Amino acid sequence: MLKQQRQFDAIYKANYQKVIRICMGYVNGNKALASDIAQEVFVKVWKSLAGFREEAAISTWIYRITVNTCLLELRNKKYTQPYQEYHQLPETQEEPYADKEKQLKKMYQCIAKLSKGNRAIILLELEGLPQKEIAEIMGISHEAVRVRVHRTKNSLTKCVKNDSI
Amino acid sequence: MTAFEDLKSQWNNQNQPETPVDGAKKVVDKINAIRSKQRITNIVLGVTVMVLIAFFFYISAHKFPPVMIGLLIMMGSLLARIGLEFYSINYLKKMNVSVAYEAFKSQMATYYRQRIKVHFVATPLIVISYCIGFVLLLPAFKENLSSGFYSYILVSAVVVLVVLGLFIAKQVKKEIALLKEMKHSD
Repeated sequence: MLKQQRQFDAIYKANYQKVIRICMGYVNGNKALASDIAQEVFVKVWKSLAGFREEAAISTWIYRITVNTCLLELRNKKYTQPYQEYHQLPETQEEPYADKEKQLKKMYQCIAKLSKGNRAIILLELEGLPQKEIAEIMGISHEAVRVRVHRTKNSLTKCVKNDSI
Repeated sequence: MTAFEDLKSQWNNQNQPETPVDGAKKVVDKINAIRSKQRITNIVLGVTVMVLIAFFFYISAHKFPPVMIGLLIMMGSLLARIGLEFYSINYLKKMNVSVAYEAFKSQMATYYRQRIKVHFVATPLIVISYCIGFVLLLPAFKENLSSGFYSYILVSAVVVLVVLGLFIAKQVKKEIALLKEMKHSD
């Protein structure tokens, strides 16, 4: 038990930042909601830890649990509400910084317009994962990932620029 | 830098919550809290069943066949409904979240198909059985209760049935929408 706890502690520290970023992508950048889902992800990590067979890299395994838990949790109404108070910008904010924040907010809004599957793919792509690993997480062919990443990248970029997806 | 690379760089440099220092401990605490909550739920349900059985014998229902049958049907319907809910909750809890996304989506779709069967087949049968049980009890109620209380029981039963019906309809609508979305999205 103590060994499992130590292992879990290490996994938690090494993966929390990745998990929370993916979760934020599912809840319009709302940090509080993302933290709730991230906690749920780690509850499932703990419960599944004994069954981890090291057939996949631990990060691939964690990402699978993360996208699946997000899909599961999005059934809950509280996670599908539009987030109104996203990063309220102070009036004195410097111009370039405020522009970046606005663009980030727009990016979250555009990600929310994607289908749940494409949302998972683009969030993993934004995290910088190789397409082969994304294919393993999604359970689809490398070729299908390549096509979907290409399409989703284009529609996301277009949406952030022009507000259409 | 391409437009997407620019978005990617913003994504990776965004302001995000720090890793909680005692986060792993909180997760383990949450798991323990869930376990004790489950134990409490099981105890409450066990006590409810025992109270129902005790009530059954307290009013000597076994000596009056229509009352006995009515009560047994109502209790059976309630237990069947609780059993189905437990089965659904356990199915969700036991779903393997470490499989690939597409396989997990199939598990979710199976879950919703089962839920729709529950809503369209099992629930109407359970509600009808419950109503039959209730109707079988009415003569005994009329004979042993004041007319005011008898009317109250009749009216409240109809109100409960309507409210429950609306609640179930809302739930069915939500789950059908989720199943449709799952079937049609990538």
